[in-house]
Amino acid sequence: MTLSVDVIKRGDRRQPEKFQRQKLHASIVAACLSVRTPEGQAEAVAHAVCDAVVAWLEDHPEVTSQDIRIIATKHLHTHHPEAAYLYEQNRITI
Amino acid sequence: MRNYVKNKKMDIPSLLAIIALAALIHASFQLSVSVLMLLGGHAIGAKRSQARLMRLTTSFLFGAGIMTVLLLSFACLLAVNFFGTSTPQLVWAGACGFAIGAAISIWLFYYRRNKGTTLWVPNNITNYLSKRTKSTKLGAEAFGLGLVSVLGEILLILAPMLIAALALVQLPPVWQLLGVFLYAAISLLSLIVVWILIGSGHSLGDVQKWRESNKYFLQFIAGAGLIVLAFFVYASEILGYAAGVK
Repeated sequence: MTLSVDVIKRGDRRQPEKFQRQKLHASIVAACLSVRTPEGQAEAVAHAVCDAVVAWLEDHPEVTSQDIRIIATKHLHTHHPEAAYLYEQNRITI
Repeated sequence: MRNYVKNKKMDIPSLLAIIALAALIHASFQLSVSVLMLLGGHAIGAKRSQARLMRLTTSFLFGAGIMTVLLLSFACLLAVNFFGTSTPQLVWAGACGFAIGAAISIWLFYYRRNKGTTLWVPNNITNYLSKRTKSTKLGAEAFGLGLVSVLGEILLILAPMLIAALALVQLPPVWQLLGVFLYAAISLLSLIVVWILIGSGHSLGDVQKWRESNKYFLQFIAGAGLIVLAFFVYASEILGYAAGVK
């Protein structure tokens, strides 16, 4: 099922885009793999986090990409704190 | 042939010590380390093989090393062209003042006052580097990223590099070559440590946690190192000469 949620991107010049679950899923998997989590576990965690984010989005027709990141980090923290830390740090490493 | 010893004020070990300290200060700067961390994270996250991961990070390391050597050699070339192999005291004094100014700036501004390890580097540079790390797939791209990451922190590395260049041109030719490689090797130490950690399968989260919890210590060390370097150079090149020790 595709949610009709507009995601406002960082920076004024970028156009809003529709929420894509697979994009969020890939980023969560990447964060888990970066802390050397086995692939199967990374997929399972990403599924759980994406479900939680999608549930939250049902009440929010328009969000920023930062909102999604915050909510995803919050839920990822309950499943995999180390991956959540790295996920949160991704934008604030440089 | 020029006499490289007769008109020198400092001996070779002192000059090499200055170069080594300047390189250590250079090593404490974190932009290249951050980019290497991101590059490693994206490569692991994209399920690239260990061989590909090592190829990318090694290429990045080489790029950073080559750019360091090129910048230092260029600084040496300028120093020789402007001042010859005997640098005027006024230039040494200026370099010391510049280093102290850079040290104070580093203490005040190096890290942004928020979470993470974001630096006071122009946003367009950091955005560019972040985007490039994400899209880097080939060794050649990683090599280019290594080159650019050193250029990105040129404002920070200018002070130690300038003093190292002024010290380098006073060395005999063979020692100059050794000095350049010594500087490059020491300045890459922090990158080499991260490269080894990534290659040996350590969690990037642990490395980033260490960096975040010690960021103000690193900031202090970089600034303090520059001040120590400036005072050492000032004492031996200006005060030592004025007091007739040299």
